[in-house]
Amino acid sequence: MTAPPADEVFAALADPTRWRVLTLLAERGDGTATTLAGELPVSRPAVIKHLAVLDRAGLVESRREGREVRFTVRPARLDATARRLADLAAAWDARLAAIKRLAEKDGP
Amino acid sequence: MTTTDRIERETLIAAPVERVWELVTAPEHVGVWFGDAGAEIDLRPGGAMALSWEEHGTVRARVERVEAPHVFAWRWASEMGAEPEEGGSTLVEFFLEPAERGTRLRVVESGFAALRLPADEQERRAEGNGDGWDHELRDLDGYARSQVAARS
Repeated sequence: MTAPPADEVFAALADPTRWRVLTLLAERGDGTATTLAGELPVSRPAVIKHLAVLDRAGLVESRREGREVRFTVRPARLDATARRLADLAAAWDARLAAIKRLAEKDGP
Repeated sequence: MTTTDRIERETLIAAPVERVWELVTAPEHVGVWFGDAGAEIDLRPGGAMALSWEEHGTVRARVERVEAPHVFAWRWASEMGAEPEEGGSTLVEFFLEPAERGTRLRVVESGFAALRLPADEQERRAEGNGDGWDHELRDLDGYARSQVAARS
Protein backbone atom coordinates (compact mmCIF):
# COMPACT_ATOMS: atom_id res chain seq x y z
CA MET A 1 0.00 0.00 0.00
CA THR A 2 1.30 3.45 -0.88
CA ALA A 3 1.77 6.15 1.73
CA PRO A 4 -1.35 8.26 2.23
CA PRO A 5 -1.45 11.91 1.22
CA ALA A 6 -1.20 12.81 4.87
CA ASP A 7 -1.44 16.56 4.36
CA GLU A 8 -4.99 16.13 3.12
CA VAL A 9 -5.72 14.34 6.38
CA PHE A 10 -4.18 17.18 8.41
CA ALA A 11 -6.29 19.68 6.49
CA ALA A 12 -9.43 17.60 6.96
CA LEU A 13 -8.85 17.39 10.71
CA ALA A 14 -7.93 21.04 11.20
CA ASP A 15 -11.57 22.17 11.02
CA PRO A 16 -13.30 21.90 14.43
CA THR A 17 -16.69 20.99 12.92
CA ARG A 18 -15.18 18.20 10.81
CA TRP A 19 -13.39 16.97 13.89
CA ARG A 20 -16.77 16.86 15.68
CA VAL A 21 -18.34 14.98 12.74
CA LEU A 22 -15.57 12.39 12.87
CA THR A 23 -15.79 12.09 16.66
CA LEU A 24 -19.56 11.62 16.53
CA LEU A 25 -19.23 8.90 13.88
CA ALA A 26 -16.59 7.15 16.01
CA GLU A 27 -18.80 7.35 19.13
CA ARG A 28 -22.01 6.28 17.42
CA GLY A 29 -20.49 3.66 15.13
CA ASP A 30 -22.11 5.28 12.10
CA GLY A 31 -24.38 8.14 11.04
CA THR A 32 -26.10 9.95 8.20
CA ALA A 33 -26.00 13.62 7.26
CA THR A 34 -29.43 13.95 8.86
CA THR A 35 -28.56 12.35 12.20
CA LEU A 36 -25.27 14.26 12.37
CA ALA A 37 -26.92 17.60 11.58
CA GLY A 38 -29.35 16.86 14.43
CA GLU A 39 -26.44 16.80 16.88
CA LEU A 40 -24.39 19.69 15.51
CA PRO A 41 -25.02 23.44 15.26
CA VAL A 42 -24.71 23.33 11.47
CA SER A 43 -27.11 22.61 8.61
CA ARG A 44 -27.48 19.28 6.82
CA PRO A 45 -25.92 20.69 3.60
CA ALA A 46 -22.93 21.87 5.65
CA VAL A 47 -22.58 18.40 7.18
CA ILE A 48 -22.66 16.89 3.68
CA LYS A 49 -19.78 19.17 2.62
CA HIS A 50 -17.75 18.19 5.67
CA LEU A 51 -18.43 14.50 5.02
CA ALA A 52 -17.23 14.94 1.43
CA VAL A 53 -13.91 16.40 2.66
CA LEU A 54 -13.51 13.56 5.17
CA ASP A 55 -14.34 11.07 2.42
CA ARG A 56 -11.72 12.54 0.03
CA ALA A 57 -9.13 12.34 2.81
CA GLY A 58 -9.99 8.67 3.26
CA LEU A 59 -11.17 9.20 6.83
CA VAL A 60 -14.73 7.92 6.34
CA GLU A 61 -16.52 5.52 4.03
CA SER A 62 -20.14 5.45 2.99
CA ARG A 63 -22.75 2.97 1.89
CA ARG A 64 -26.21 3.63 0.52
CA GLU A 65 -29.14 2.31 2.55
CA GLY A 66 -32.45 3.04 0.84
CA ARG A 67 -32.72 6.81 0.60
CA GLU A 68 -29.93 7.46 3.11
CA VAL A 69 -26.16 7.37 2.85
CA ARG A 70 -24.65 5.94 6.01
CA PHE A 71 -21.08 6.92 7.02
CA THR A 72 -18.54 5.08 9.16
CA VAL A 73 -14.98 5.93 10.24
CA ARG A 74 -12.00 4.39 8.39
CA PRO A 75 -9.29 4.14 11.05
CA ALA A 76 -6.45 3.11 8.71
CA ARG A 77 -5.84 6.61 7.38
CA LEU A 78 -5.85 8.14 10.85
CA ASP A 79 -3.38 5.50 12.02
CA ALA A 80 -1.11 6.25 9.07
CA THR A 81 -1.19 9.95 9.86
CA ALA A 82 -0.35 9.27 13.49
CA ARG A 83 2.59 7.15 12.35
CA ARG A 84 3.80 9.89 10.01
CA LEU A 85 3.66 12.45 12.82
CA ALA A 86 5.59 10.03 15.03
CA ASP A 87 8.23 9.72 12.27
CA LEU A 88 8.52 13.50 11.99
CA ALA A 89 8.83 13.80 15.76
CA ALA A 90 11.50 11.08 15.82
CA ALA A 91 13.44 12.95 13.13
CA TRP A 92 13.44 16.08 15.31
CA ASP A 93 14.48 14.03 18.34
CA ALA A 94 17.45 12.75 16.36
CA ARG A 95 18.41 16.25 15.19
CA LEU A 96 18.15 17.68 18.71
CA ALA A 97 20.26 14.78 20.00
CA ALA A 98 22.93 15.57 17.39
CA ILE A 99 22.96 19.26 18.37
CA LYS A 100 23.22 18.22 22.03
CA ARG A 101 26.17 15.92 21.36
CA LEU A 102 27.99 18.59 19.35
CA ALA A 103 27.33 21.32 21.92
CA GLU A 104 28.40 19.21 24.88
CA LYS A 105 31.56 18.05 23.13
CA ASP A 106 32.86 21.61 23.59
CA GLY A 107 31.69 21.78 27.19
CA PRO A 108 33.78 22.69 30.23
CA MET B 1 -9.38 20.13 19.20
CA THR B 2 -6.86 18.24 17.17
CA THR B 3 -3.12 18.46 17.62
CA THR B 4 -2.17 17.03 14.24
CA ASP B 5 -0.94 20.40 13.02
CA ARG B 6 2.06 20.64 15.31
CA ILE B 7 5.12 18.74 16.47
CA GLU B 8 6.94 19.97 19.55
CA ARG B 9 10.15 18.45 20.95
CA GLU B 10 12.79 19.62 23.40
CA THR B 11 16.08 18.68 24.96
CA LEU B 12 18.36 19.90 27.74
CA ILE B 13 21.92 20.66 26.68
CA ALA B 14 24.87 21.13 29.03
CA ALA B 15 26.34 24.03 27.06
CA PRO B 16 25.83 27.81 26.99
CA VAL B 17 22.95 29.28 25.00
CA GLU B 18 25.46 31.03 22.70
CA ARG B 19 27.07 27.72 21.73
CA VAL B 20 23.71 26.12 20.96
CA TRP B 21 22.71 29.20 18.97
CA GLU B 22 25.82 28.77 16.83
CA LEU B 23 24.98 25.13 16.10
CA VAL B 24 21.37 25.93 15.23
CA THR B 25 22.09 28.93 12.97
CA ALA B 26 25.53 28.52 11.37
CA PRO B 27 25.32 26.95 7.89
CA GLU B 28 28.50 24.92 8.38
CA HIS B 29 26.74 23.06 11.22
CA VAL B 30 23.17 23.03 9.91
CA GLY B 31 24.39 21.74 6.55
CA VAL B 32 25.64 18.60 8.21
CA TRP B 33 23.21 17.75 11.01
CA PHE B 34 20.14 18.63 8.95
CA GLY B 35 21.09 17.79 5.37
CA ASP B 36 24.24 16.10 4.12
CA ALA B 37 25.32 18.41 1.32
CA GLY B 38 25.61 21.79 3.01
CA ALA B 39 23.31 24.68 3.82
CA GLU B 40 23.07 28.37 3.01
CA ILE B 41 21.56 30.73 5.55
CA ASP B 42 21.13 34.47 5.15
CA LEU B 43 20.62 35.05 8.85
CA ARG B 44 18.03 37.84 8.89
CA PRO B 45 14.23 37.94 8.64
CA GLY B 46 13.27 37.29 5.02
CA GLY B 47 16.73 35.89 4.29
CA ALA B 48 17.00 32.93 1.92
CA MET B 49 17.98 29.48 3.11
CA ALA B 50 18.85 26.32 1.20
CA LEU B 51 19.15 22.88 2.77
CA SER B 52 20.80 20.25 0.59
CA TRP B 53 20.99 16.49 0.40
CA GLU B 54 23.34 14.60 -1.92
CA GLU B 55 20.67 12.21 -3.04
CA HIS B 56 17.49 14.28 -2.90
CA GLY B 57 18.52 17.79 -3.90
CA THR B 58 17.87 21.12 -2.27
CA VAL B 59 14.96 22.38 -0.22
CA ARG B 60 14.43 26.12 -0.10
CA ALA B 61 13.52 27.91 3.10
CA ARG B 62 13.07 31.47 4.30
CA VAL B 63 14.18 32.93 7.61
CA GLU B 64 11.20 34.25 9.59
CA ARG B 65 12.62 35.30 12.97
CA VAL B 66 16.14 35.94 14.26
CA GLU B 67 16.30 37.01 17.90
CA ALA B 68 19.81 36.01 18.96
CA PRO B 69 20.40 33.95 20.95
CA HIS B 70 16.84 32.91 21.84
CA VAL B 71 14.57 32.55 18.80
CA PHE B 72 15.31 31.31 15.27
CA ALA B 73 12.48 30.44 12.93
CA TRP B 74 12.28 29.47 9.28
CA ARG B 75 9.69 28.24 6.84
CA TRP B 76 10.74 25.40 4.54
CA ALA B 77 9.11 24.25 1.34
CA SER B 78 7.37 20.89 1.44
CA GLU B 79 8.84 19.98 -1.93
CA MET B 80 12.35 19.85 -3.35
CA GLY B 81 13.02 22.91 -5.48
CA ALA B 82 9.82 24.77 -4.56
CA GLU B 83 9.65 28.18 -2.92
CA PRO B 84 8.59 28.23 0.76
CA GLU B 85 5.19 29.79 0.11
CA GLU B 86 2.02 29.68 2.19
CA GLY B 87 0.19 26.43 1.54
CA GLY B 88 3.40 24.68 0.48
CA SER B 89 5.60 24.97 3.53
CA THR B 90 5.79 24.34 7.25
CA LEU B 91 7.20 26.60 9.97
CA VAL B 92 10.13 25.47 12.12
CA GLU B 93 10.82 27.45 15.30
CA PHE B 94 13.74 27.00 17.68
CA PHE B 95 13.52 28.42 21.19
CA LEU B 96 16.67 28.57 23.33
CA GLU B 97 16.38 29.35 27.03
CA PRO B 98 18.94 29.30 29.83
CA ALA B 99 18.30 26.30 32.05
CA GLU B 100 20.05 24.81 35.04
CA ARG B 101 23.62 24.05 33.92
CA GLY B 102 22.95 24.83 30.30
CA THR B 103 20.29 25.41 27.69
CA ARG B 104 16.76 24.21 27.06
CA LEU B 105 16.34 23.80 23.27
CA ARG B 106 12.78 23.46 22.04
CA VAL B 107 11.69 22.98 18.43
CA VAL B 108 8.17 23.36 17.05
CA GLU B 109 7.19 22.43 13.50
CA SER B 110 3.68 23.50 12.51
CA GLY B 111 1.42 24.20 9.55
CA PHE B 112 0.79 20.70 8.20
CA ALA B 113 -2.94 21.39 7.91
CA ALA B 114 -2.32 24.41 5.68
CA LEU B 115 -0.51 22.31 3.08
CA ARG B 116 -2.64 22.14 -0.01
CA LEU B 117 -1.53 20.38 -3.15
CA PRO B 118 -3.19 18.24 -5.79
CA ALA B 119 -3.85 14.74 -4.47
CA ASP B 120 -1.45 13.00 -6.87
CA GLU B 121 1.29 15.43 -5.89
CA GLN B 122 0.60 14.74 -2.23
CA GLU B 123 0.76 11.03 -2.90
CA ARG B 124 4.12 11.32 -4.63
CA ARG B 125 5.55 13.60 -1.96
CA ALA B 126 4.28 11.51 0.93
CA GLU B 127 6.19 8.56 -0.51
CA GLY B 128 9.30 10.66 -1.19
CA ASN B 129 9.25 12.13 2.30
CA GLY B 130 9.24 8.76 3.93
CA ASP B 131 12.51 7.91 2.22
CA GLY B 132 13.94 11.32 3.03
CA TRP B 133 13.37 11.07 6.75
CA ASP B 134 15.00 7.65 6.92
CA HIS B 135 18.05 8.94 5.10
CA GLU B 136 18.19 11.97 7.36
CA LEU B 137 18.15 9.92 10.50
CA ARG B 138 21.02 7.79 9.26
CA ASP B 139 22.99 10.84 8.06
CA LEU B 140 22.54 12.60 11.35
CA ASP B 141 23.65 9.66 13.39
CA GLY B 142 26.74 9.21 11.23
CA TYR B 143 27.62 12.89 11.40
CA ALA B 144 27.22 13.05 15.16
CA ARG B 145 29.47 10.04 15.58
CA SER B 146 32.12 11.40 13.21
CA GLN B 147 32.13 14.72 15.05
CA VAL B 148 32.55 13.00 18.39
CA ALA B 149 35.33 10.84 16.98
CA ALA B 150 37.09 13.82 15.36
CA ARG B 151 37.13 15.78 18.60
CA SER B 152 38.07 12.93 20.90
